[in-house]
Amino acid sequence: MHLMSSKPQALTSTGPMRAFAANSKKVTTELIEINEDLLEFNQYLTEYYKQLSSAWEVAQKKVNLKAPEVPHDVEQIEAFKRIWIDIFDNDFTELFDSKKFGENYGKLVSKELELTKHWNNITNVVLQSVNLPSKEEIDEVYKELHSLKKRVGKLELELKKKEMKKNAQ
Amino acid sequence: MHSESKIDPKIIEEVLKFSKNVIDAPKLVSAPDEISLEVTPHDTVHELDKTRLLHYRPLTEKQHKTPLLISYALINRYHILDIQPEKSWVRNLLEQGFDLYMLDWGTPTSMDKYLDFDDYVNGYLDSAVEHIKNESSNEKISLQGYCTGATIATAYTALHPESVKNYIATAPVIDGWRDTTVISNLAKHMDVEKMVDTIGNMPPEFMYYCFSVLKPFEQGIEKYVKFFKNIDNKKYVDNFLRVEKWLGDTPPIPGELFKQWIKDIYQDNLLIQNKMYVGGEHIDLKKIDMPTFTQIAVGDHLVSPECSMPLHYAIGSEDKTLRMYPTGHVGMIASSLSQKKVLPELGKWLAERS
Repeated sequence: MHLMSSKPQALTSTGPMRAFAANSKKVTTELIEINEDLLEFNQYLTEYYKQLSSAWEVAQKKVNLKAPEVPHDVEQIEAFKRIWIDIFDNDFTELFDSKKFGENYGKLVSKELELTKHWNNITNVVLQSVNLPSKEEIDEVYKELHSLKKRVGKLELELKKKEMKKNAQ
Repeated sequence: MHSESKIDPKIIEEVLKFSKNVIDAPKLVSAPDEISLEVTPHDTVHELDKTRLLHYRPLTEKQHKTPLLISYALINRYHILDIQPEKSWVRNLLEQGFDLYMLDWGTPTSMDKYLDFDDYVNGYLDSAVEHIKNESSNEKISLQGYCTGATIATAYTALHPESVKNYIATAPVIDGWRDTTVISNLAKHMDVEKMVDTIGNMPPEFMYYCFSVLKPFEQGIEKYVKFFKNIDNKKYVDNFLRVEKWLGDTPPIPGELFKQWIKDIYQDNLLIQNKMYVGGEHIDLKKIDMPTFTQIAVGDHLVSPECSMPLHYAIGSEDKTLRMYPTGHVGMIASSLSQKKVLPELGKWLAERS
């Protein structure tokens, strides 16, 4: 009776709650970090839309300058549309081609990946609590499979070459 | 004083007609799953993992001796080369009497995330070439690479020149530092290591984003306006839907392959500097010493001419031809210009060497 009551953790050693409880601190840490990363992600996302809206504003001003030159009749709708599309495509391509866009977009994607990593880590805690392999463990299996397939492929090729050599003799 | 704004009644008529076309569209167009992109008859003659080697059935009585294998790009699928009979790259080459094969890279899944350049170059492509050599009793074949498929084919040709009789590079991705496209700008600022480590394979959605920033207004608005305006034109609608289906069918790219491609081609630009290694083997472009034909589209907004052209000057071939065409990336392979100009020139060049 004494032994049973002094080791209550032994009672829950095979259930999901023990493993989850042991790693619950990890979940809290990940959630705190997600919040921090979300802040930075939002900064890059705001900058992304700021860049888009600035490009739109500049392009629209260029179109507005050109607009009075185009007569407002049905034959000219096409011409006006062409001007609008050409100006917008040029200005936006210039933006997408710029260093400032490339850098911000790169940071935005990188932050998004950080968030994915945290999410993966939380999922791993849940997976381990029910004795399922984590993402890293599955990746290990994939890596091993890839390496084995490569080795088998090379061996098969060697065999084939030897056979062909033998047949040629 | 009474003032009223005058609107041309024809404008109202146009707007009403356009609205009617939009409403009628669902009744007139087929659902994407009703459209088959497999046009020219072919047989699957070899398979390795998820890749398939397709052999097209001949359309002429006599054929040139040397078979031609096409290594299509890693983005989207080979169907664009056979999107419809009148604009089919495949059909045109068959009608010119070439014995044609196509390598379908298949659809990688999560477990393929470790596939790399070595697997594609020395594995899948090499295996396909060996199969064709055996099947056709040829010691060498002709090889054509398109876009990123040409990066793989270039690496293969440099490593296995003994198997390639003629090499055709169509809009090849070669010199990443000279590339002036939006794609290269995004690639240069990408933390590809983190990306692949975190998500594994490159998802199609990421590719769709990259496409969406290429001529966004022409592609995102004008294209669809034209579609609704031509909703009664059956041929136009059919062609439009085929291309749309093709555009929306991009397989994921294996993580390791994507990582090496972005790092070695766009970020460190190793291929053109003869500093790239594939499966531990050094890629020396000077080893490409067979007849080589490089095709470039002047208006290419996916692979700029500056990115492709250096291949012509870097290879060791004495018999080499560079052709530039006034069209775009897809226009070069699936348009009336490709049928009237690009393919006849390629066919003539290849026939003389096959």
